Parts: sequence; structure tokens; C-alpha cells
Amino acid sequence: MELRFFEIYRSSEYVLLLVDGAALSAGLTIASGLLGFVLALLLSWVRHAKVPVLGLLAASYTEIVRNTPLIVQLFFVAFGLPMLLGYQWPFWAHAVLALTLNFSAYFTEILRAGYLGVDPGHVEAARALGLRPHIIFARIVLPQAVAKMWPSLSAQFIFLFLTTGVISEIGVEDLTHAGVFIDSRSFRSFEVFITLTVIYILMSLGFKAAMSVLQARLFRWQGVR
Amino acid sequence: MKEALISLLGKPEGIVVFQLLDATQFTIYLSLIAFTGGGLAGGIIAFLRILPNRWTRSFALGWIWLFQSTPLLMLLFLSGLGVPRLFGMDVNPWTAAIISLTIYTSAYMADVWRGAVEAIPKGQWEGSRALGLSFAQTLRRVILPQALRVAVAPTVGFMVQIIKGTSLAYIIGFRDLMAIGKRWANSPVDGTEPFIIFPLMAVIYFCLCFPLSMLSRRLERRLGTVSQQSSVHAAG
Repeated sequence: MELRFFEIYRSSEYVLLLVDGAALSAGLTIASGLLGFVLALLLSWVRHAKVPVLGLLAASYTEIVRNTPLIVQLFFVAFGLPMLLGYQWPFWAHAVLALTLNFSAYFTEILRAGYLGVDPGHVEAARALGLRPHIIFARIVLPQAVAKMWPSLSAQFIFLFLTTGVISEIGVEDLTHAGVFIDSRSFRSFEVFITLTVIYILMSLGFKAAMSVLQARLFRWQGVR
Repeated sequence: MKEALISLLGKPEGIVVFQLLDATQFTIYLSLIAFTGGGLAGGIIAFLRILPNRWTRSFALGWIWLFQSTPLLMLLFLSGLGVPRLFGMDVNPWTAAIISLTIYTSAYMADVWRGAVEAIPKGQWEGSRALGLSFAQTLRRVILPQALRVAVAPTVGFMVQIIKGTSLAYIIGFRDLMAIGKRWANSPVDGTEPFIIFPLMAVIYFCLCFPLSMLSRRLERRLGTVSQQSSVHAAG
């Protein structure tokens, strides 16, 4: 038993691989997070407004996503759908689609809880002022819900980020992919995966910090009462 | 059962469905072992957290933080490849999968139970002490009966996370539903295309997870749950 961290990272090749992988992991996660959030806004609104049929569909969708493993969803999106519908995309696009679909279901649940937490008095007041329902939702309910649920959304996002390593399984050259590659070359699995773990943890701390900076920026109005 | 499925669905679908269901038992075994092992370990960690001792408390907090921040995939790689290679030994996929899922589960279960104990107002500890109860008595007679109540729903809910988590164990060579399904999806046999196999697997996973999700939600309504802050986030 001997740890040889230095030996592996003496050449810049592996270090660069890790940097590129980490950048791709971060990029794809952020892209999927944003797209997933937008989709979640739609899904949660459909459910909140109790739109007939669509509301039920949205509810089934979130249940299916939340009760099946990400890796099965990913393989279906990356290998099943393209064969079924006859399209060809680069690996990363499949990954973004799968992660977006996955993230949106989890965000939907949080947003829904947020809508329920908004003081009904605000909605009544807005209605009394003659605001139309979609304006009430967009200007009164949604901002308060997002502000209130921001810590949950942020924690959920980071938790989801930690599951994104599976996209390496469809050939996306993310951080995990870089680690698996270095491992297959160097056979120093312990050192490689410890390094990867540390990078993942550091990145999630980075995301956490970024989310609280965003919170301070986005919800400044919350302090004004 | 194999013959029945073949006569019902024909070949190869009957064989495929049989093999998938057959492999599902290993998904279930692994989930149950991880839940039991992780639950026990989580209980110990949660106990260390509430003991009035600075060192055990820091250790428990550190454990929870570290293993909630480590991707499950990394735990699997470390226990299935990293540690065995470091010590030059063989670890079979069962052992590696059990160890990583147990550690993963323990961190979350400990957090849930710690949250449940902390949700009990401080005044109850003080009141019990004033009545002359010892730490152990207070914990057993006053705190735990109330804490367990709110911990039930998130505990059941986390089982869903464990089942979904087991789907990653194929990466270190564990032969469960995921491994068998993936092999069929890669095979050139007609009727086992990825757009058939993966939805089929999703259905099986869904049948395992959805009842637990529903149960957890019902328990939450009936018994209440730990506050939002310490609740378990779901993903995977």
C-alpha cells in the first residue's frame, strides 16, 4: 500500500483532462438546471392551476421520473428515443435532454410546495385589485414561492449535480469519464477516485456559494417589508 | 414461471421479461441489505450526534457531511476498484455494492434521525432533567417516542433513493436488474431494442418505488414529518 498522487499528476495531460471534464460537468449541469427549471415552471403551473388533462399528465410525469433511476432514463433518452424517432445527436445533447427531464421533476415538486406556502391573502388582495389570474401567478405567487424555496432549490440542484456522473456511461467526457480514463491508464484507482471525489465536493461547495450570491442578488426585495 | 411467460408473451419477450424479473430479486436484496445496514449505521451516527460529547458530535457531523457530499458513483468506484487495488486484494461486487450503499444510506438516515431528535423542543430535555431523569432515560422515554414518529415518513421515502441507487452497482460488476437489462438492450435480438427494454426496466423500478413513495406521503400526512430543512432531498 502506497499512495502515489504525485506520480499520476506529474504530467499535465491528466490534470488537463480533469479540468476539461470538470468544466463540461459544470456546464452541462448548469444548462440542464436552467432548462429543467423552465420546464418545472411550466409543469408546476399546469398542476397548480389544475389545468384539466395536462395537470394529470404533468403529475404522472413527475411521478414516473421521481420513481425510476436516472440511469434508466438516460439510457432510454440516449439509445431508445433516437432509434425510435430516427435522429442523431452528439452525446452531450442526449445528456442535457435526460438531465433536464430528470431535474424538472424534482424542481416541480419544490415549486409546488412553494406555491402552497404563499399567503392566500395576497392572492385575494390581487384579485380584489382586478389582476388577471396569470398576472397574479407570475407577479405575486411565483416570485414569493421561488424566493421562499430558494434554499431547497439550491440544495436540490447540488444534490442533482452529484448524480450527473452517470452521463459518462453514454460517452460524455465529463469529470467521471476523465477519472475512469485516467484509472484505466494508470491503474491507481484509489488516488484517481479520491481526487475525483474531492473535485466533486469542491465543485458542489462552489455551486452552493454561487447560489447564495444569486439569492442575495435576486431577492433583494425580500428584505424590504 | 419462465414457461408461463414464454407461452404468454412468446419468444424472445417471454425470456427477456423472465430474466429481468429474475434479476430484480438482486436489486431487492441489495436494497434491503443497504437499508438495514445503513439504517443501523445511521442510527449509531445519529446517536453519536446527540450524545453530549464534543468529539462524537463532530465525528457524526463530519460523517454526515462527507458522505452526503460524495457522489454514490464515487463510493462505488472507491469500494469496488480503489480500495481493492490499493491493498492488492479482490473484493466481489456484492461486498463493494453493500459497503458503498450502506455508507451512502447511513449518512442520510443519520441526518433524518438527527433532525427528528432536534425537532423536539429543548424544553423537554430540560424538563426531564428537572424531573431527575438521566440522559438515557430522557432519550428512551421522552425524546425517541416523539422523534420516531416524525422520522417514519422520510425513512420510508429514502428507501426509494436506495432502490434507485442500486441501479448504479452494475458499473462495478453487480448483476442486478440494471445489468441484465443493459445486456439485453445491447444484444442484436429483435424485440430487445433499447426503446423496449429501458421502458420495461423503468416499469419494474417504478413498481418497486412508487408504492413506497405513496406510503411515505401517506405517513407524512398522518404522522407529520421532520421540518423542511432537514428533510431528505431526492434525486437519482
